Amino acid sequence: MALRFEELIERHHDEIFAYLWRLLGNDGRRDAATDVEDLTQDVFLRAFDSFVGLRPNSNHRAWLYKIATHCAYTQLRRIKHRRDKLSSLKHSTAELETASEISISRKDMEQRVRALVNELPAKQKACVTLRYLQDLDYPEIAQILSCSQESARANVYQAIRHLRLALEGER
Amino acid sequence: MTTQKSKNEVFVVKHLRSALGSPMETALSRSRERVNKWFAEEAPLIQWGEMSSPLGPLFAAVNERGLCALDFGRQESEFLQRFDNRTRLEKDPKAVQRVLVQLREYFAGDRSSFNLPVDISQLTPFQRSVLEVACRIAPGQVWTYHRVAEELGRPRSSRPVGGALARNPIPIVIPCHRVVASDGSLGGYSGGSGLKAKRWLLRLEGAL
Repeated sequence: MALRFEELIERHHDEIFAYLWRLLGNDGRRDAATDVEDLTQDVFLRAFDSFVGLRPNSNHRAWLYKIATHCAYTQLRRIKHRRDKLSSLKHSTAELETASEISISRKDMEQRVRALVNELPAKQKACVTLRYLQDLDYPEIAQILSCSQESARANVYQAIRHLRLALEGER
Repeated sequence: MTTQKSKNEVFVVKHLRSALGSPMETALSRSRERVNKWFAEEAPLIQWGEMSSPLGPLFAAVNERGLCALDFGRQESEFLQRFDNRTRLEKDPKAVQRVLVQLREYFAGDRSSFNLPVDISQLTPFQRSVLEVACRIAPGQVWTYHRVAEELGRPRSSRPVGGALARNPIPIVIPCHRVVASDGSLGGYSGGSGLKAKRWLLRLEGAL
């Protein structure tokens, strides 16, 4: 029997919410959790509208992740735009704060990693999240992001390299 | 080289997992409730039930407008497969009780017509008009496909009439079994076991 929409919600809501939360809800903004809830609702709404046209043998999970990624990209662009507007004001203060840190506690480290991940290009961020936090394999990631497996691997490699160099610089 | 590469990867992934982690259960369940609530409001509700009948297991389903599906002599999964997979399907014998009571009376020979609201809005206007004509055929009578076509003012449309009758979502209640071929044969029937069921229904009504 073909998958019903209520089963789709039941099976995949939690992982889609977690995916969006990892992509967007982690940057310390007070309204971040609400944003992720709104976005999760939006993902299922879009999925509902196009569910009828989906072939029964499709990979429903990858299809849902694809919709979630599109929604997240749009939101990430909005956030980046907001940040860019504020960055010139905050830039000098941030530099002073970083210079005054003597040791990096675990909490600070987590904050730093989150900041580094948020600086990654959207595709690298999506790739690395799908691979290491959502535990998806490369064929599925390629399907979700409409790219080749090589491109998905390259994006993960670039993201890991960038994060490693930045983190090693702080050790 | 590979070992160094994987060490670097493990180092970064460890920090990544610790920093991005997992969402709080409260946020997760709040979102789950919200999506489920939206779906309950958005998706049409279809309630269905079943009964045993002389033609095998019989299934009936209602929506907010009325009886929208009926079938018999098939598996439950086959019956449920016909519905748009975005609808909410609920097995609720109470919701279809009125339908099943009238069908039991019909099979017992105590009822010849039905008094039920029906919903055939998913059909095309032509299909609907064919089924409306079929509802005018009295129990114990049979009309030919040609006669139905004539009633519609389209005497050359016997074949499309047959096609429309084959798409009747509510057999028995909309008596498409009362339409037969001009050569005296039964024609076709898509309900239950096909022509065997059609013959049985016409015999019950005294038309054969």
